[in-house]
Amino acid sequence: MTRDTWQRLKSDRYGMSGFIVVTIFAIVALCVWAGLLGQGWSEVSGNRFESASARHWFGTNLLGQDILQRTLFGTATAFEVGLMVTVCSTLLGTILGGLAGWYSHGWLDEIILWLKGVLDSIPFYLFAAAVAFALQGSPWAMHLAMIITFWTTTARIIRGEVMRIKQREFIDAARAIGLPGILIVFRHVIPNTFHILLVQSTIVFVAAINTEVILSFLGLGIKNGVSWGLMLAESSQEVLAGHFGNFVAASTSLFLLLMGFNLLADALQDALETRGELN
Amino acid sequence: MNTPSQIAGTPLLEIRQLSLSFHPQKQLAIDRVSLKITAGSTLGLVGASGAGKSSIARAIMRLIKPDSGEILFKGKNIERMNAEELKSTRQHIQLVFQEPSASLSPRRTVEQTLLEPLQHFAIGDASYRQEKIREILHTVGLDRGALQRYPHQFSSGQQQRIAIARALVTNPDLLIADEAVSALDVSIQAQILQLIQMLQKDFGIAFLFVSHDLAVIRQIADDVAVMYRGQLLEQSTADQFFTEPAHPYSRTLLSFAQGKNPLNQLDDSWHLQRSHSSDGNTPACVFSAFCPDKKPVCERLEPPMHDIQFKNQHALGPHCVKCHLYDEVKTNVYRETKL
Amino acid sequence: MSAPALRVNDLSVWFETGTGRVPVVDHISFNINAGDATGLVGESGCGKTMTAMAILGLLPATGVGVSCTGIEINGKDIHTLDGSRRRAVLGRDIAMIFQQPATALDPVFKIGQQISAVYRRHTNVNRQHARQAMLDALQSVGFKQAEDIAAAYPHQLSGGMRQLAMIAMATVCKPAVIIADEPTTALDSSTRELILHQLNRLQTLHQTAILFISHDLAVVRKSCRNVMVMYCGRLLEKTDCQSLFAHARHPYSAGLLSCIPQISDKRPAPISSIPGQIPAATDLPTGCHFAPRCNRVEDQCRTSIPQLDHENGGGAACFRPL
Repeated sequence: MTRDTWQRLKSDRYGMSGFIVVTIFAIVALCVWAGLLGQGWSEVSGNRFESASARHWFGTNLLGQDILQRTLFGTATAFEVGLMVTVCSTLLGTILGGLAGWYSHGWLDEIILWLKGVLDSIPFYLFAAAVAFALQGSPWAMHLAMIITFWTTTARIIRGEVMRIKQREFIDAARAIGLPGILIVFRHVIPNTFHILLVQSTIVFVAAINTEVILSFLGLGIKNGVSWGLMLAESSQEVLAGHFGNFVAASTSLFLLLMGFNLLADALQDALETRGELN
Repeated sequence: MNTPSQIAGTPLLEIRQLSLSFHPQKQLAIDRVSLKITAGSTLGLVGASGAGKSSIARAIMRLIKPDSGEILFKGKNIERMNAEELKSTRQHIQLVFQEPSASLSPRRTVEQTLLEPLQHFAIGDASYRQEKIREILHTVGLDRGALQRYPHQFSSGQQQRIAIARALVTNPDLLIADEAVSALDVSIQAQILQLIQMLQKDFGIAFLFVSHDLAVIRQIADDVAVMYRGQLLEQSTADQFFTEPAHPYSRTLLSFAQGKNPLNQLDDSWHLQRSHSSDGNTPACVFSAFCPDKKPVCERLEPPMHDIQFKNQHALGPHCVKCHLYDEVKTNVYRETKL
Repeated sequence: MSAPALRVNDLSVWFETGTGRVPVVDHISFNINAGDATGLVGESGCGKTMTAMAILGLLPATGVGVSCTGIEINGKDIHTLDGSRRRAVLGRDIAMIFQQPATALDPVFKIGQQISAVYRRHTNVNRQHARQAMLDALQSVGFKQAEDIAAAYPHQLSGGMRQLAMIAMATVCKPAVIIADEPTTALDSSTRELILHQLNRLQTLHQTAILFISHDLAVVRKSCRNVMVMYCGRLLEKTDCQSLFAHARHPYSAGLLSCIPQISDKRPAPISSIPGQIPAATDLPTGCHFAPRCNRVEDQCRTSIPQLDHENGGGAACFRPL
């Protein structure tokens, strides 16, 4: 099954280019985590606002820090935020959405839907600020705020899927031998939602990175380290003075990675959906 | 093969006055149905779609809860069983569905699907289970290479074999086949029917075979029960049913199935009005609106279920019919009305 | 001798996959005369529906290839027609009845609206006329209360009634050819009788040619004069119904007939079946596709492809016919 999907993905030029871009960025992030790249992100290694040169490929920023190093480190930050938020919110959303869907119209469903409603109606950035405040500026405040609000979208989708899938006969077959509901949900139903989850995950990843950019702009972003959002925030002043290094580096990286993800997500959706066609 | 269709003693499965409705105030999906299946025999449950046949199958498996009535397995009421007895009962009654591709979990391998009932019912140890599933695969005519594959990699005939294999791993006493061959091509249907015939003969498994296809029923059933709009109208041995069915509805069904077209007798409206559910004044006999042999009493009084015996048939077995035409004389010959 | 209502010459359909062409319909040819019904029987995956879709030009543009030397309705070739001219033909000269009336009718429009829409598409009449034609069509398929049916939505009708509505939709423009794809498969026996009865009536009335696609040989026997047996994309036998059922000449046809369970007084003998499986389209045997399962197979069956005897109406594509 996955071989088929892979074949289809391979034949989609845009999808493959997206995949390659994402992979390159992912490798960079791994190298940063492994200590091979981007380690000099905080080091003041040059004069302020040096333009691009052999030593500083993208020049330096206001403090004399190498922009290239900071861009590379920013890649790791983006992936760290993206992965953590995606994994946690998807997990949470799947579990809650799965339970809500299976016990649909029951009390558990009502509670989860209510919770979803409440969280969806809170203005996100205010919420993030509130969480940051409550956690006394902990570096995880931002991640937490995102996880708590992002799970609702996944949950809504999974709930709908579970309600559909539980009508199918193989679920009856499982019930007919007396398997308990929870077991059926997680063994038989959820695995049939993986194709949707995969696409949804890439969307959440993109949303997480985007959100981090804005949070960093507002000063609620990451604390130790640098991210593209932070660089963009810095650059807002610099650009007025005619120094574009930060801005170009950060926004180009952001654009490339998010574009890559979007292309990949679309292609994945196509590749996974043609499973039931003319064959 | 001549399994005697009445064996003295407790029937394997018995349903008494089972009733179920999906919507209150509307027509009952199952209307006071009583059935008996003896061990080792096959009961064919026939009727048009919507007659309630599948609902009975699902009620027996407790996929839906009946409103009233009793289901007894080996003499014990399913409702009154404790958790352990219920689990043991589930082991011995298995269900095979109509759409093989829909009844197998798409993300589980054949091995996982076959092992699941054994694991759930804690039957045997790991090595027993492995051997059992290989043995069952062989019985249904698949090779062990199938174990690691996924359902979508098989044809529908093979998928149905896998579904049957899953039903067989727990050594059930009763298999309920809910239109299990209706979705299959004719040549594959023949292969599956052969498999079922083998299971009847060599394994002595009892079947409740739900189908709208009388020819298929003729192939494998020992007894036949006819349903219409939730009610049981007739139950007899297969030989009796296919030689001379008693109820007018049964006769109509058999005529259609044999390709005789009684349309010239029945109004076109027979078909079109059938779908209009009469929640106004419901006639007493559920079939009276379309019965070619209707009598005035049929619209006033609901007929009771009679035991009858045709004079020209030597006692082939119990035969009961729910029809006023059999009111007067206890053992009578059906008054011939040409259809 | 006028041209047959439908003539299909050397039609082939295939899937274009990454690994090459997968044949689905393999060089089939047949004629149907006006007023005749010809059955196209075969099991799932044999290519029957693809044949219908190819004739109508409803196959997707990418991934599927079609070739033929001609598809003619009353002598006029429709295969080479493009876009709008092809669409003009659909519904007017040739119409299709689908298997699942529930999904083939649009749930958000009333029956009457859908049928009128078809009629107005192909004729330049005003609403009044179209409405009348639509009511006539409904009455001609047997609805006594045509007005009520026209005002109903598909979900308000039973399966049989929906199928009749579909037939009305297909016949409102009085096409020369109708392709019925498993029209009675989803219905129970009594409704099936009614549908076949109405289809037969209309066919005689308008002298329509019908291509009746079905896996159910019994139904084809009742409603068709001629029959074609299809297996893995090829026509294996082409003859009239009586001959096929009296004495099928191709081993596959004979095998298929013997698989059909019968109703009889005595408990029938254990059913026989054709050994083996239908091969996957990606894995077709060379030579005669049925050779691996045939009990009359000989060497040349595996190396050369037996042909139908087109001069004499068809016969069996077999080197050792029964």
